[in-house]
Amino acid sequence: MSKPHSIPSRSLNVTINGNKQPVEDVPDELMMLDYLHEYRNLTGTRFGCGIGLCRACTVIVDHADGTSEEVRTCITGAHFFEGKSIRTVEGHAERDESGEVTQLSEVQQQFLNHFSFQCSYCAPGFVNAATVLVERLKREPIERDQLERTISAALEDHLCRCTGYVRYYRGVRDAVLATPGTIKSGKSQEA
Amino acid sequence: MRILWVLLAVTGYAATVQAAGDTSQIERGQYLARAADCAACHTAKGGTPYAGSHPLATPFGTVYGTNITPDDEYGIGKYSADDFYHVLTQGELPDGTQLYPAMPYTDYHAITRADSDAMYAYFMSLKPVHVQGKQTDLAWPFSMRWTLNAWNLMFAPGDDVGDTDTDSADSDVTANNRGRYLVDTLGHCGACHTPRNMAGAVKDDQHLQGAVIGSYLAPNLNADSMAARGWDRDSLRTFLKTGMSAQGSMYSEMYPVFHHSTRYLTDADLDAMTRYLMGKNPPPAVPVKTATGEHDGEGRQLYFNSCAGCHGADGQGVPHVATAMLGNTALRLDSPRNLVKVIHDGIQAREFGAFERVQAMPGFADALNDGEIATLATWLRRQWGGQNDAVTAADVDELTADE
Repeated sequence: MSKPHSIPSRSLNVTINGNKQPVEDVPDELMMLDYLHEYRNLTGTRFGCGIGLCRACTVIVDHADGTSEEVRTCITGAHFFEGKSIRTVEGHAERDESGEVTQLSEVQQQFLNHFSFQCSYCAPGFVNAATVLVERLKREPIERDQLERTISAALEDHLCRCTGYVRYYRGVRDAVLATPGTIKSGKSQEA
Repeated sequence: MRILWVLLAVTGYAATVQAAGDTSQIERGQYLARAADCAACHTAKGGTPYAGSHPLATPFGTVYGTNITPDDEYGIGKYSADDFYHVLTQGELPDGTQLYPAMPYTDYHAITRADSDAMYAYFMSLKPVHVQGKQTDLAWPFSMRWTLNAWNLMFAPGDDVGDTDTDSADSDVTANNRGRYLVDTLGHCGACHTPRNMAGAVKDDQHLQGAVIGSYLAPNLNADSMAARGWDRDSLRTFLKTGMSAQGSMYSEMYPVFHHSTRYLTDADLDAMTRYLMGKNPPPAVPVKTATGEHDGEGRQLYFNSCAGCHGADGQGVPHVATAMLGNTALRLDSPRNLVKVIHDGIQAREFGAFERVQAMPGFADALNDGEIATLATWLRRQWGGQNDAVTAADVDELTADE
């Protein structure tokens, strides 16, 4: 793909869903969301409000120390991710060699079980946020009676204009409870 | 029978109001209490208005605003109008207890008796709140309130409180005096915007020349300094009335001042304040000098990585979302303190009226290191603030050391 030369650009080196992307020149000013859509054809990450409020554009940044965090791609420049490793909504399910999905992640499956997705526009953000939460709880388990408020605190910034919060909430709760090691006292399998 | 009870209740209520003051006096008192921003210290966050317990951090310890509802035991229910005036203007309770000068009685000293009586009528019209506020408990030697008598001898104003004539034949003199009364007396702007000495008293010779309050800079409000940062009377009036202007939006300690106080002020009073602060013929607002040839730096890239999504590629901001960086007063200040602090700490979402709000800004303390914040701040100040001095990582470390 040729780029207009008048736009200041610099090379970008980023790993997405475990795959090192081809290093190429990307405009200094490009937002990460546009990079995902236009350069990588990863269109699952959604453009919602464009002001970092709705969080439909959230991706996961994986740190070298094993922790992960949510970052909003509509308000974060592509070059913020230089040298970083990220996951998008396309990267959660297992796939076969042809790219077909063979196994959904626990979070995705629980969201389907609970019919959490309605119009689905906010789904990428919720999947990524819930995944970050489940992974955090695997590293730092909590008491069972802290789970509800922990889910609320972790997901309250994400907006669903279909108001599917209750079903999202149940999906996240069951995903946590179905994941060994997230709840102290060995009660994590009660789902 | 029921009608009789209602009649008794109504006449009883009316008698109460009559004792405390008539409706117009109470309304005037409410306006004055807002202009004096009593709520800033006497209302806790999320608490009942004027029921006290708001913590005010001072270099000497935390002082709590007291309950000033008309509760007989915990509030000011037993105060006479004389008592109220004495506390307000002298900082001494009816029992002789000396208040800490966190209560700005040194500023309120010039409040007129009529205004004090109106404020008294307003506070007495409130519902009493039977709750004891948090008690101030400073460590020795500041626990010895009697020492405040010496402090008052040294620092409290005498009876000469300047010309408070707000009814001069010359309307400009009237406006200026009214402005001074609103800024220096009721608004007690100097409590934050004037530097203080070691004893915590404001330095009169540096009136409104700017001071660090908490860890943010309350900027210099003198006309030349304001004009050098692009302010004129119109923008200042807009800023006080709406909490925002082309120069930025209120945050940190100034946002509650807008919320509790300045947004309620009449246009005439706001005009008087700008007349007093900027003068009859203000120095012309200095347009911001934007930088050229700075387009390949790391600062610019950091801006696009973390800021431009909301503040715009050209620093123009997004209405109702993020303030403009171009000409923003935080970029134009000589000190990079506020810019660095905001980048580091972020700002919570703020409402500026029924249809105006600004989204929360995340802090970048975790995402950017001190060197990166310094590079970003340097670029911002040069690009849209007309400030060429570089900010160093050591500056950032020092300015954010308390966190």
